[in-house]
Amino acid sequence: MKMKLIVLAVSLVAFSGGAAGIDFGKLLEERINQELNKDKPKQPAPAEQPAPTPGQAPAAAQSAAAPPPPAKQKIDARQLGFALFGDYSLEEETRIGRQISGNLLGAVPLVRDDKLQRYVNLVGNWVALQSGRKDVTWHFGVLDTEDINAFAAPGGYIFVTKGLYRRLNNEAELAGVLAHEIAHVTQKHHLKVLKQSSLIGALGQAASNKAKDSDQVVQNLIGNGAEIMARGLDKNAEFQADRVGIVYAARAGYTPWGLPEVLQDMAGLPAKDSRTSLLLKTHPHPADRLAALGDAVGGRLDTVRGKEVADRFYRIR
Amino acid sequence: MKTFLIPAAALMLCVTAASAWAAPGTVLRNEKLYSQPSANAKLAGTVAKGASVNIHAKQGGWLRVTSGKTTGWIRLLSVRAGAGGLGGAGLGDVVGAATTRSDPSRVVAVAGLRGLNDEDLKQAKFNADELGRLEALKVTASQARSHAGQSGLVAVNVPALPEPKPAQPASSWESN
Repeated sequence: MKMKLIVLAVSLVAFSGGAAGIDFGKLLEERINQELNKDKPKQPAPAEQPAPTPGQAPAAAQSAAAPPPPAKQKIDARQLGFALFGDYSLEEETRIGRQISGNLLGAVPLVRDDKLQRYVNLVGNWVALQSGRKDVTWHFGVLDTEDINAFAAPGGYIFVTKGLYRRLNNEAELAGVLAHEIAHVTQKHHLKVLKQSSLIGALGQAASNKAKDSDQVVQNLIGNGAEIMARGLDKNAEFQADRVGIVYAARAGYTPWGLPEVLQDMAGLPAKDSRTSLLLKTHPHPADRLAALGDAVGGRLDTVRGKEVADRFYRIR
Repeated sequence: MKTFLIPAAALMLCVTAASAWAAPGTVLRNEKLYSQPSANAKLAGTVAKGASVNIHAKQGGWLRVTSGKTTGWIRLLSVRAGAGGLGGAGLGDVVGAATTRSDPSRVVAVAGLRGLNDEDLKQAKFNADELGRLEALKVTASQARSHAGQSGLVAVNVPALPEPKPAQPASSWESN
């Protein structure tokens, strides 16, 4: 039985494809082990054909996956649930992003300063135009909290906190921060995480195909409230967003050094500052991000001349 | 004579101010110091990973630093600001804790500005009004282009940076 589940797991990983499958490995392994332990006393001997006992999650998952017994290692992708294979459609991506953003805004509202918000949208959209991703509608907002952080949700929803915004010195630094978040969206980092957790859920839930209303499906997918923003991403996703973001900002005509300047500023903040505790929990330390970015950049941006645009930078009242 | 003295005094002041401004930093990799902010400039010396430097000035992607008796320009991404040392959390934590203990006024100031936490986010309830407000702020691509143009920003072609080579071939499973 154990072998069979591992075979199932491996083929699921293989089908889900690429980087997502690899990152997902450990989580899936843990879940499989959980399932195994839960069902251990009831399981038949390893060599036996699994009895089609409904109600037991792994067996149910397998019978849903492969109804005809001979094809027990083949999986019918369509029966496994919500967008497990292939990409989320743009509509699904936007629905997920709206739900996360609406929840995040439930925790902390927008700063009531339309000039500020409009300015950030103008800068953000200009940077996003250089990302090559033309299908999403981009939304940018400044959150009314002294916390120092920035967030991205699928479908082009991007937030920077007032606490972070206050520390910026020019438009190039703002562009650098927004570009890092835009990169999370273009690289679909959060969608990859969600795909992994939905795949795990499917192992246990594939058989119980109850009709639910679609907002509930999305909410189930993202967990409680906006907690997905507190979990953060893999550190390699953060390093990648730095690498991709610095290039987006440079392509937009800004100096590439905006984001590094912001990281330098964070690196100099005291470690126990409560305003950065969530940022440091969900991101590699700024010093490590600078070092990783330095490895990638080397002398490659030496000839790039960009603007800081300090004169018109909007200062928060 | 008077007209000469005033600018001279002003210049003196500037020089003093500039040399007085020195922030601590830590070198992130074995690196070269150049006499000018350019990799084509004359070599001024080298610094080792982990060395402490004083940062005097910045220009583009370069910082002017002093390490021991040597002063020169180093790449911005080869230095971290702050005396926290090399690693991320490690030494920084010690420094932070020390600051907290020795300077109670600072603790109050920081504690007054509470950050976001997991619980805030987990408990968050969907706020349709705020989301509507956000979506109403949307601008078009042509508005963004025109805003960029007003400050002379022009899109330039910058190639993507290479993906890093996998550092340890060991286990790609052990992320997170």
